[in-house]
Amino acid sequence: MTVARTGDEIVFGHFEAVGGYALAARRAMHEFRTGPETWSHIAAGQRKWANLNPNAVMCEQPLSMEGYFNTRFVVEPFRLCDCCLVNDGGRAIVVTSAERARDLKNPPVLITGLGQHNLPSEIHQSTSMAGPTGAKRAGEQALHMAGITLEDVDACEIYDCFTYTVEITLQDYGFFGPGEGRDWLQGGTVEPGGRMPVNTSGGQLSEAYFMGLTPLTEAVMQLMGRCGERQLGPNTNTKRAEIILCSDNGGILQSHSCMILRRNS
Amino acid sequence: MNDQKPLPALNEDTREFWEGCRHHQLKFQKCSECGLIRWPPSIICPTCHSLEQKWAPAEGRGKIFTFAVYHQPFHPAFKNDLPYVVAVIELEEGVHFLSNLVGCDHRLIRCGMPVRVVWEDRKEGFSIPKFTPVQ
Repeated sequence: MTVARTGDEIVFGHFEAVGGYALAARRAMHEFRTGPETWSHIAAGQRKWANLNPNAVMCEQPLSMEGYFNTRFVVEPFRLCDCCLVNDGGRAIVVTSAERARDLKNPPVLITGLGQHNLPSEIHQSTSMAGPTGAKRAGEQALHMAGITLEDVDACEIYDCFTYTVEITLQDYGFFGPGEGRDWLQGGTVEPGGRMPVNTSGGQLSEAYFMGLTPLTEAVMQLMGRCGERQLGPNTNTKRAEIILCSDNGGILQSHSCMILRRNS
Repeated sequence: MNDQKPLPALNEDTREFWEGCRHHQLKFQKCSECGLIRWPPSIICPTCHSLEQKWAPAEGRGKIFTFAVYHQPFHPAFKNDLPYVVAVIELEEGVHFLSNLVGCDHRLIRCGMPVRVVWEDRKEGFSIPKFTPVQ
């Protein structure tokens, strides 16, 4: 947890998830250059992907930068568009050996790197609230196992319970330094046509919330070539993806998993 | 859901803390071995693993480490308080304590602002420690 818990936080009207992440995001705003200007690029960028995805809850609803700033606050600094969706549904993945997968009808996707790093269960005095999160070491482990660097990654599917989660995860993986996200995101970096597509289904912010399976299933589908209008490659003016990096995290930025998937070619 | 605000759920770890609050006294466990002042309460020191500790009074002064402004109620009892502020206070004694910030315009709050404890007495017999900016 971001703040060590007694169970009595509810006495103060504090409710985990949105409240906890809001505390972390506010501390980040104090420690480095971030805030709604940065997060609006993530919310609007992911919405553009959702607009290409007929399964996305927000498929029919465009979101401009202005539209982002016009949505109401939930727990400040988070607006409604900073928060993931609430929905029903399901996702599944079949995991088997590469040998068995060769005989299957659909092309398999290979797991080439895994990393996990979990911060202490009680960050007693919470001095690392603004990162680095577990993403730093989990990412290093996964890249090392896969034998690649960030330069080899073609796209990312990042666990996005909140917009800020995407920023701090990409930052801790090393795509940019603390506070450099706002500049890195300029010009549609993560959008269709961008140089580093992120959350190409719309993610949990704009497609649907399936915990860690939203990013993971999208990465698998992209590498299998099953994504239709939003398929990475010529369809979306992006490079054909060979390697996709996925993340998941739990608690309030407390536990973190990183997985690197590769097209079987 | 009822409209009563939740009260502390006392247990063997937290009873001493809330008893102190009843007398408007913030108290935290201090490790008898290494001197660490800790929160939340526990039977063992998270640093040196000593089981020996005593409850020591705190001054109730600190600064805002971080805060969040609630604009939506997640429990009906908090609806009339909107917008309200949840903050993590970095107390002078070193612990981080989650509470509310009261008595100021939420738009003026900044991390690092000095604050002091104020008490909200509940008719059920509890006193809740909250914080307000030091003028």
